[in-house]
Amino acid sequence: MAVKFKELFSVFRNGIWKENPIMVLVIGMCPTLAVTNSAENGLAMGLATAFVLISSEIVISTIKNFIPANVRIPSFILIIATFVTFTDYFVKAFFPTIAASLSIFIPLIVVNCLILGRQEAFASKNPVHKSIADAVGMSIGFTWVLTLLGIIREFFGMGSVFGLQILGEWYNPMVIMLLPGGAFLTLGLMVGIYNHINREVE
Amino acid sequence: MGEFSQIVLLFISTVLVNNFILVRFLGICPFLGVSKQIETAFSMGLATTFVMTLTAAATWLINTFILEAFNLPFLRYVAFIIVIASLVQFVEMFIKKTSPVLYKALGIFLPLITTNCAIMGLALLIPLNGYSFIASVVFGFGAGVGFTLAIVLMAGLRENLEFGDVPQALKGVPITLIIAGILALSFMGFAGMISV
Amino acid sequence: MEKNSNLNLILVLTTIGIVSALLLTFVFEWTSPYIAANEAEKRRNAINEVLPGLERVEEVEIDGEIFYEAYDNQGMQIGVAAQHSGAGYNGMIDVMVGVDLDSQEVINISIVGHEETPGLGARITENEYKSNYQNKPFGDYTGVGTPTSDPMEVQTIAGATISSEAVIRIVENAVEKINTVYGGR
Repeated sequence: MAVKFKELFSVFRNGIWKENPIMVLVIGMCPTLAVTNSAENGLAMGLATAFVLISSEIVISTIKNFIPANVRIPSFILIIATFVTFTDYFVKAFFPTIAASLSIFIPLIVVNCLILGRQEAFASKNPVHKSIADAVGMSIGFTWVLTLLGIIREFFGMGSVFGLQILGEWYNPMVIMLLPGGAFLTLGLMVGIYNHINREVE
Repeated sequence: MGEFSQIVLLFISTVLVNNFILVRFLGICPFLGVSKQIETAFSMGLATTFVMTLTAAATWLINTFILEAFNLPFLRYVAFIIVIASLVQFVEMFIKKTSPVLYKALGIFLPLITTNCAIMGLALLIPLNGYSFIASVVFGFGAGVGFTLAIVLMAGLRENLEFGDVPQALKGVPITLIIAGILALSFMGFAGMISV
Repeated sequence: MEKNSNLNLILVLTTIGIVSALLLTFVFEWTSPYIAANEAEKRRNAINEVLPGLERVEEVEIDGEIFYEAYDNQGMQIGVAAQHSGAGYNGMIDVMVGVDLDSQEVINISIVGHEETPGLGARITENEYKSNYQNKPFGDYTGVGTPTSDPMEVQTIAGATISSEAVIRIVENAVEKINTVYGGR
């Protein structure tokens, strides 16, 4: 039992740092860059993606034996699209302001390579409990990068974090941080720092 | 303004002012993944443009005559992704049969296109903007040309980077992102040139 | 049955499709009332903002356009509001415009929806910009970068001229739309 738990934990831990979906696998970049102009949006996008990833990994690892290999991808896409539509309507109904700021990037979770990629690489080959560990780990890995990116961009671009004004009137906001250019530059530097830390550790 | 000049303006604004990659953040994955060489980048752009134009037409028809006619908005995402996946499959089979040379050049990129958010984004933006059929096709084609432009520019820069002295930690993905950032900044120069 | 037989392929895909469609129909039925309520709430807030002091709103449809007539507690009409949309910098901007028909002036505007850049274009939602339109006579407006000297001028937001100009055009059109219908009365 102890061995099994250890194995599960290592699957779970994988996504958070060692095989972080954004930093290492470099997938799911569109929402990563587009919606992280504030910490709140980054976190919301991370949670929405997490919900879709976890639910589809559970369903797919459960029914994987019934799906013929030839229609594997279409079946996966159908299941993912169903969960995404559910998320979209749910957010629109109960969190209208978040829905407005994320706009088309919630439906675009359908084509987030992270989701389909994990089904192919993991859920279709592993039992349910392991798939859950993988999905939760990957989700945390995805969400923390999005939230941190959002915090950095919001802090420099508006002087606030999660809508809370931190820097006073004297601060002249670096609006470029909120624009596409700032998104690319910040993420580039973040990945650079991540690589540097990994090399130092080794 | 005449209808024709409207269409021309829509095309230019989709290519430059609202570039899919650098302004709207759609299609970043292939932009970072397939931009190491100009030649492959151009092939990828060509394949994407082709699929985008077809997608624009197909999703417009399905949205207008099926989803809106029968009031099924909740099946939109499922329907669009199926259309795109089948379209990509169909194009792949078609090219394989008719032109082996073209298939050799584009073949490996086609499966990647299904999960390219630029295509799905295009399908979603068309009903949102309420374009007519002609405008949708022009929008799709323009988006593809804009995609090609950005990815070829990026590949050109990265080819030169081979000879650059990049700090160890920034090699690979980080420097690519930073270049993309500078490219995005320069595209801001087009902002507001045309508003459609 | 052979696992990869054509029949089985079709069977599996159809089953997934049917389950998915049923599930989504249920989700749609469940969330639609909430989404509609959110929309209505947003519109009500916008009308209250552009026609302050209203007691009762009547929604009327004239020539396929929807107008909101507002009355105070004595039943006197205080103004008319209409929503109008136009292209902004990133996407569509929806603006609610409230006007006073007697004095032929805009009372206030409210941005109902937009996709402008946060920190730049998104500042069209701030009072500093919206107050530009308070008590503006009907007509065509000019955007200027400096504090306004003429009643027909609107001060644009620094660094967000496109968004500011887009709102000016939308407000002009909204006023014209209201004036064509109510102007003769």
